[in-house]
Amino acid sequence: MDRRTYLRSLAATGAATTTTATAGCLGVLGAGGAEGTVLGPPERDLSEASHPSYGDEMPHITVPDPITGEEVSTEGLEGERAVLWTSFYTNCPDGVCPALILRLRRAQEYAAEQGFGDEAAFLALTFDPERDTAEVLREYAGQRGVDLGAGNWHFLRPESYERGQELMDEEFGLVIEKRDADEYQNIEYRFPHVGIILLANEDGIVERVYPRGPQTDVERIVDDFERVVTA
Amino acid sequence: MRRRHLLAGLASVGALGGAGAVATGGVPDALGGGDAPEPIEPVTLDTIEAPGSRDGEVTLPAPDRPTFVDFFATWCKPCVEQMPDLAEAHDRIGDEALFVSVTPQDVGGSVSEEKVVNWWRENDGDWLVAADVTTALAARLNVGGYPSARAIDASGRVRWATSGTHTTEELVEGIERALDR
Repeated sequence: MDRRTYLRSLAATGAATTTTATAGCLGVLGAGGAEGTVLGPPERDLSEASHPSYGDEMPHITVPDPITGEEVSTEGLEGERAVLWTSFYTNCPDGVCPALILRLRRAQEYAAEQGFGDEAAFLALTFDPERDTAEVLREYAGQRGVDLGAGNWHFLRPESYERGQELMDEEFGLVIEKRDADEYQNIEYRFPHVGIILLANEDGIVERVYPRGPQTDVERIVDDFERVVTA
Repeated sequence: MRRRHLLAGLASVGALGGAGAVATGGVPDALGGGDAPEPIEPVTLDTIEAPGSRDGEVTLPAPDRPTFVDFFATWCKPCVEQMPDLAEAHDRIGDEALFVSVTPQDVGGSVSEEKVVNWWRENDGDWLVAADVTTALAARLNVGGYPSARAIDASGRVRWATSGTHTTEELVEGIERALDR
């Protein structure tokens, strides 16, 4: 089922993606990359995918952070912080979400060690707001070692499941569907999903999308992120 | 030899069905059968005072001998299921490699050491257990889901990388791959 969703998301290309020129541009910050990017083009061109990719604008979303009580807006972070974004849910039964969260957490830890934590934002959007309440998210953060006190980590919790589904589809090109979870003992329903991590620079331009986020080399993500933040 | 092992590894991943191994793809790309993975730069972690373990430090991977690392977490249910096979594997082959379980949790911070010790005791752990509070080791070994296992040879090269639960046989075979060289 994961596979089908993934293929569908790959098939739904075109319209939503704003493809930017990839070569020959006078990049504002870097050389040889798309306009406004720090990093050069990725090894694999993902511009045909339904989700945002290299050189695209980071989707402008405004979603409540239930722990701080703020409305977090990606546009509001522009000019201030580079962003690592992922989507997940705490009941994720299959290891995808822990791997995604570990990658963001490692980047958060590294940013703190290197002193650029205030130029970074880590956004973890749950598409299961019914179960992922403020209390559940806070406990999850504790178990996983996320540093909520650093002020740069936000859990994003859409107002409703439908709103989250709409956000994921319209803004990120990712299809989320609630399925029953008979094969798992502890949960009633689950969401087969593609584990994606997005890296956007402080100007809100996507520098990297890691479409197989859970398998992507942790140090590669951290290294890309550092290069973008400290450029 | 390598090829046979790789195929065996894939088969065991398949047998796990919907569990962690499938979701995280098992063997990372970097290991895709390449003959000469780069050595992993060692990280020093604090160890935990618990049955079979002691309060102190450990450098992983060990600089001069094979190392087996099991990544677990106290919130991870499959990790509980994995413990009897790990214990059996430790009994059979634990003398031939540095055998250690590592949690990437913020032990001493958001998760108390006592909680980890209790988990360890309840699940009959009886070998070295360490805390990777900065996830530096998990990052170097590119951990996906939990449990995850890595068998690393004496030169610091990863010879077996997997996630999801495994039988004793699979664990022993995986560790043996790091002893060959």
